[in-house]
Amino acid sequence: MRDVAIIGAGMTKFGRSPGDLMDILAEASLRAIEHANVGKEEFDALYVSNMMAGETAHQTAVASSLADRIALVPAAADRVENGPASGGSALKNAFLAVASGCYDLVLVTGGEKMTTADTDIITDLVATMTHPTAEYIHGVTLPAMGGMLTRLYMERYGLTERHLAMVAVKNHANGLKNPYAHIQRACTIEGAMSSGVIADPLRLYYVCPISDGAASLVLCPLDKAKKYTDKPVRIAGVGQATDVQALQEREDPTVLKSVKIAAQKAFKMAGVTPDDIDVAELHDAFEILEIAESEDIGFFEKGKGHLAVEKGVTALDGELPINPSGGLKARGHPVGATGVAQAVELFWQLRGEAGERQVKEPKRALSCNFGGFGNNTVIHIFERGW
Amino acid sequence: MVEQKFVGYKCRSCGRVMNPKHDRCLSCKGRDFDEVELPKVGKLVTYTKLYALPQGIEMPPLTLGIVDFGVVRVLGQLATDEPRIGMSLRPVWGKIRRLNDKDIYGFRFEPVS
Repeated sequence: MRDVAIIGAGMTKFGRSPGDLMDILAEASLRAIEHANVGKEEFDALYVSNMMAGETAHQTAVASSLADRIALVPAAADRVENGPASGGSALKNAFLAVASGCYDLVLVTGGEKMTTADTDIITDLVATMTHPTAEYIHGVTLPAMGGMLTRLYMERYGLTERHLAMVAVKNHANGLKNPYAHIQRACTIEGAMSSGVIADPLRLYYVCPISDGAASLVLCPLDKAKKYTDKPVRIAGVGQATDVQALQEREDPTVLKSVKIAAQKAFKMAGVTPDDIDVAELHDAFEILEIAESEDIGFFEKGKGHLAVEKGVTALDGELPINPSGGLKARGHPVGATGVAQAVELFWQLRGEAGERQVKEPKRALSCNFGGFGNNTVIHIFERGW
Repeated sequence: MVEQKFVGYKCRSCGRVMNPKHDRCLSCKGRDFDEVELPKVGKLVTYTKLYALPQGIEMPPLTLGIVDFGVVRVLGQLATDEPRIGMSLRPVWGKIRRLNDKDIYGFRFEPVS
């Protein structure tokens, strides 16, 4: 396998975009291509992550359309769909293609246009990821799953609502420093704890917003990266794992087994341990997930993640900053874009280009893109390639 | 709608009981199963009261929970406004919601008095 590098990144401002899905996919892609300094070179392939264009934009085969729109024809083009982990899967596919020696210059773009549809339609589309007969038909939505997991955590590990509010306050504070974030507004513990109940014990402030947005990366072999940039970011490890679909069928429903296994695989490939990670982007579609993932990745002992939040370990200036971008809570969660946006943030962080939210000299970073309700997770480890 | 039995699927090779049904056993990949009746009473493991309602559910909140029947856990709607972790519940067959203009039937769980 060849070493693989990211040489350029770009994204749109997340939130409510004036353009349609193809507009934002093109905007993010062109920013990444320009940033990668590849000029008019031909790309071998593009991977486009998107979850619901067929349903929300009434458009299918968006990868072929993007190749046409930004003049990448005749590059190979595929749309990649893995629910909210589509972005992580697209990046993984691109990594494998470059690592194998098949392709030299590859574009990865993730995007979703969600704000044009009614909230209940989006909630329903996302809910169709759950088990069709054991979950979905009973009225289960993703917030309902988040609510049930949160209650288990409270019963088992002593997590309180205040801990969820602390994660929200931290991520809102980080989002305020991120010009690409959907939500750029500080929040307080009291404000979060008095917001409306969505899926008890989850309130509005413990749930990510519905956003539009796109993010993009350019990949090439590490040994060719110096031609384009002095600071290539190496993809050191990749891990992906599935779990049984229904939450109630998991041996211990508080353990996110797909996260655990994906992390173990990524650490093994990278030859590092959780202690070697300086900054992480985790999938906090619900604030409980940031805590649960931080434990199952191996940063903190199971059931102790909330104590790390309490001590400020995961704050921007803490020992292990988590979600410097604001996470899904504040940056927003255009489902197909999220996994790519996590990698874009870590690319900027490693290169020291994250502006006001820059973490102090990180050398190695980890992203966790959580699909379904934890039944398909993709984890990447990035490090300085210079 | 004919009332269904509250069942699990027992693997003929290793004996593991599953609900929902899988085409291969999650433990041993066996492909043959027998329908077995599940216990009549289970205990509530976790729940949520959902206020952002899905289509076809009329009155908030929709209370959903996971009930442990020993050999398997099953998720469903709870017919109580005062769920408590550990409370005893039993499955009751009936209409659970409307979906795409059709009535959907299934088991919900009500407290054992």
